[in-house]
Amino acid sequence: MRLVLTNVSQGFAAQPLFSNASATLHSGQAVHLHGANGAGKSTLMKIMAGLQTPLTGRVERVFDKAEKNNRQAVIYLHQQTYLFDTNVRANVEYGLKLRGEKNTSKVDEALEWARLDHIQNRAAHHLSGGERQRLALARALVLDPQVILLDEPSSNLDVESMERIQHMLAELKGKGTGYLLACHQKNLVSQCCDQNWYLQNGQLVIAD
Amino acid sequence: MTELWQTLLQALAQLASGDDQLWGIVGVSFSVSLSALLIALLPALTLGFVLAYYQFPGRWIAISILNSLLAVPTVVVGLVLYMLLSRAGPLGDYHLLFTQPAMVIGQILLCFPLLVSMSLSAFQAADQRVLETARTLGANRWQAFTTLLFEVRFALMAAVVTAFGRIIAEVGCAMMVGGNILHHTRNITTAIALETGKGEFVQGVALGLVLLSLSLVLNVSLGWMQSNSRVLRQAS
Repeated sequence: MRLVLTNVSQGFAAQPLFSNASATLHSGQAVHLHGANGAGKSTLMKIMAGLQTPLTGRVERVFDKAEKNNRQAVIYLHQQTYLFDTNVRANVEYGLKLRGEKNTSKVDEALEWARLDHIQNRAAHHLSGGERQRLALARALVLDPQVILLDEPSSNLDVESMERIQHMLAELKGKGTGYLLACHQKNLVSQCCDQNWYLQNGQLVIAD
Repeated sequence: MTELWQTLLQALAQLASGDDQLWGIVGVSFSVSLSALLIALLPALTLGFVLAYYQFPGRWIAISILNSLLAVPTVVVGLVLYMLLSRAGPLGDYHLLFTQPAMVIGQILLCFPLLVSMSLSAFQAADQRVLETARTLGANRWQAFTTLLFEVRFALMAAVVTAFGRIIAEVGCAMMVGGNILHHTRNITTAIALETGKGEFVQGVALGLVLLSLSLVLNVSLGWMQSNSRVLRQAS
């Protein structure tokens, strides 16, 4: 799958946040999105995920014929991740239930992958920052997404949690899941990303 | 003082005896108030959601009107409804005056603004990321809405409990449009008013005890919900 942005602009017409942003994100591609605070990284990601409508331009999801239909196309993960007011396991099951699936082995795998299987019955709002991020990733991963948009996944994390997130991102890349990662932690992204996008002065610049 | 104790003991005995007339009156109260609540609930929640999440001309006027309706005395609602339903009124042909449906309509008018106002507050206090998270995980609009309802469930249950408490304890509207007819439209509050007027305190006290017990149960439930609600905790 390709996520194609064509001349996307957002903000006010007189003072756009960014304008004419054009880029393509493939599944399996790992991209680091750079930009100062307030540059519009979160907004761009939400537009890419279909959660916001751009002022101008369009975002298209282009699928290859052979691609599986039951994969979630794009998932956006908030900077401060939101967990539903239920337990850990129910959070992971959420997307599958929406599809009418009851695949317990998938849920078990995702919980194990995120190392949350031992606390799967704990209330989600009792988790630590690192556990919350891992749960958000597991909740997305269980849907087998083609592209994940990660908005500052390392904010407020300790070193150990960051290393775990880094390890999980490497695994995602290995599985062919594409991701766009907005992150200020250079040590986290240096090993995880193979392309850089810069959002600066209202323009999106692509660099290898 | 002895007379008061005797009345109280007789009232308790009447309650315990399963007196058909007394429990029939309690049944009318619950039947009418629960019907009104069930009918008003979904439209009120939907309107609360629309007012919380959509911007449209007149939105603030609608919210102001709803908030003003919270303070309208029940007898005023009863008066307006009486005029509408009376034989000479625009809805007189339906012959609803002094019937339970008339009482249900009156109680819908009383609880609807409260349900809208409290659900609006619950939706506004809800985390804005709920809908985005639901949508990005594959929820359609309806599924995202039901997810939001689940996330604010305790605040909404508090709204329902508060609304139920308001309508089951109101007397003005029920008296005016119900007519206080035994076995038909006589409910707890109108019966208390009647029995007290007649100087027959035993049944009045017995029904009062039912209302007090209900009030206690509702308030304990409300406290439990508040202690469990993320939204209410954030608001307090």
